[in-house]
Amino acid sequence: MIPQSPVLVVVIPLIFAFLTLLFGWFRRSFCYPITLVALSLSFFASLHTLHIVITTGTIHYYLGSWKPPWGIEYVVDYLNAFVLVIVSFVSLMVAIYSKRSVEQELPEKIVYFYCIFLLQVTGFLGIVITGDLFNLYVFLEIASLAGYALIAVGEDGAPFASFNYVIFGTIGACFYLLGVGYLYIVTGSLNIADLSQILPNLYHSKVVLVAFAFFLVGVSIKMALFPLHVWLPDAYTYAPSTVSALLAPLMTKVGAYVMIRVMFTVFKPYFSIELIPATTILGWMAAAAILFGAILALAQIDLKRMLTYILVSEVGYITLGVALANRNGLTGAILHILNDAFMMLALFLVVGAIMYRSGKREISQLRYLHRKMPFTMAVFVIAALSVIGIPPTCGFFSKWYLILGAIDANKWIFVAVLLVSSLLNVILFFRCIENAYLEPVAEHSSVGSELAITREESPLSMLIPTLIAGAGIMSFGVLSGKIISTIIQFALPAGF
Amino acid sequence: MFNFIVSNYNYWIYIVLMMIGFYAMIGKRNLVKKIIGMNLFQTAIILFFISTAAKKGGTLPIIEHGHGHGAHAIQAAAYINPLPHVLMLTAIVVMVSTLGVALAIVIAIYKRHHTLEENEILWQQK
Amino acid sequence: MRVLALITVIITGIILIYGTVDMPDWGDPNSPASKHVSPEYIEKALEATATPNIVTAVLADYRGYDTLGETTVIFTAGISCILILRRRKKRR
Repeated sequence: MIPQSPVLVVVIPLIFAFLTLLFGWFRRSFCYPITLVALSLSFFASLHTLHIVITTGTIHYYLGSWKPPWGIEYVVDYLNAFVLVIVSFVSLMVAIYSKRSVEQELPEKIVYFYCIFLLQVTGFLGIVITGDLFNLYVFLEIASLAGYALIAVGEDGAPFASFNYVIFGTIGACFYLLGVGYLYIVTGSLNIADLSQILPNLYHSKVVLVAFAFFLVGVSIKMALFPLHVWLPDAYTYAPSTVSALLAPLMTKVGAYVMIRVMFTVFKPYFSIELIPATTILGWMAAAAILFGAILALAQIDLKRMLTYILVSEVGYITLGVALANRNGLTGAILHILNDAFMMLALFLVVGAIMYRSGKREISQLRYLHRKMPFTMAVFVIAALSVIGIPPTCGFFSKWYLILGAIDANKWIFVAVLLVSSLLNVILFFRCIENAYLEPVAEHSSVGSELAITREESPLSMLIPTLIAGAGIMSFGVLSGKIISTIIQFALPAGF
Repeated sequence: MFNFIVSNYNYWIYIVLMMIGFYAMIGKRNLVKKIIGMNLFQTAIILFFISTAAKKGGTLPIIEHGHGHGAHAIQAAAYINPLPHVLMLTAIVVMVSTLGVALAIVIAIYKRHHTLEENEILWQQK
Repeated sequence: MRVLALITVIITGIILIYGTVDMPDWGDPNSPASKHVSPEYIEKALEATATPNIVTAVLADYRGYDTLGETTVIFTAGISCILILRRRKKRR
């Protein structure tokens, strides 16, 4: 009896998306529980898949029982299963969080919102788990269309930001499709495992080189790698809080996963490292992304916009790990996929909670928040420490591996870039933490103890995912050695 | 040389078409012109793929007299390649869906800004 | 801005055309795409799926999961349009 959990992970949110629409038309209050049930089942299925991969090795699941390359297959190895668990868990957390926030921001569209929410998660899960290049394109388009719609229902300025995202995202997806097409013309196959065996004879061919270039550019647009990141700040700032919390941790990480798959599984690693200078170019882009994101984040007044520039910087970290292309660098990159998902989740959940309670999200509005929302601000501080890279939070360990990888590769300039960016992040978050925790002296002495700021913490359905995200950041830091030895060590592509 | 042009000209025509659409997507300032460019770009990609399915002397991939009659051997060289056609059926659907969502977003933009020129919208947003 | 767009477009076009130099000739029956996966589709589709139309056989049977994804894309686009365009009904 073959295990069906690889396909259940993708199909359950899909079926429940239809059910949400069906039951939501009768009564609106059914949508939220149905979404939670769908994502919990999907999360358990992904945990089961990870368990099967750890105990029995790579899963090959043939859809419709047609043998590849004539049919579509799902190949789940350590990297796949790892990213699958991350995606399903983060989406479950955002779904729990979403109830109050969606009721406040989109009261008349709740049914359709949850339907598209589940379809978006289906798209992400489908991208991560598939072993067929054209199937990846189809699920990439599902995720993209859902993303365009979710962003466009935000506040003022959201439709225009979403339109920019439509144009950029379509260019990215079409470049990816062109890459698939060029590879198909010279090999005749669409299956990732099959291509990795046929392609080494064709590395001298110009078609394969152009296909690789178009893959990378298309995935970089989706992943928001500098300088193709221009759609990201506007899109994620004006989107509703729940949507930013869903898309920001996940879209870029799924894009990074696709890049690792294309660079190291479809094409053998020596193609990107020795035959063409792809890793060198990616390294410079990544370094520029890290510095550019941190510097531009300093110039922002809006807290959410600042976080989107930090996201651009974090994508730079993962790409730097991939570009270093040695054992430590790739370990750092894959660990950073996990860490960054939780850091961005925590940060965007906190900003959403602040937006829910006070309706504003400028950094100057953070004043007195440590008394109003103590738990939320505590999670903010933990996430800030993780972005800076202070032990024992998880951010320190992924940066540590990245620095080790840069030293191994003798690229001291990248070590300098990593350290400078940590310094910039300190300055960045010190502003926010100072506003939130330290009270101005003048007001304190004049008003005295009559300044009664009441505790107005975020509601429980929003607080619990925030606390879980914060706890996750701390515990993944402590457990990072165990995570590396059980999962990431085997997730490194062959050849490292 | 002439042989080279004759054997590859189908790809070049579709690449020129793709680039016209691509230029419209990024170079024009009217939102509807950008959407038209997007449609042109994606249509050209679909044509590009389908042109690779052709085979000299091959006919449509539908087996005539399939049911019932004596099973005569089916030769792969007599029919054109069916796989790009299948892939492009899906791509056409994706293209139309993206067009629909893009137009819905343009309607939402128009309701808010009452213009469809990019520089006027950016000026209004300041 | 337009100049930048024009330069980007021309460079992309040149890279794409550069890639077509090594491609197999148009209509070549011995190209890799016609030799690797599709002969099996053409020869075995009728007996494996009882469908004379090979494109339908591949679309609905061998690669039926892609068709499920395509249906989901249409559904997503439809619900997205409702989500974006739906207006609050003004109650008198």
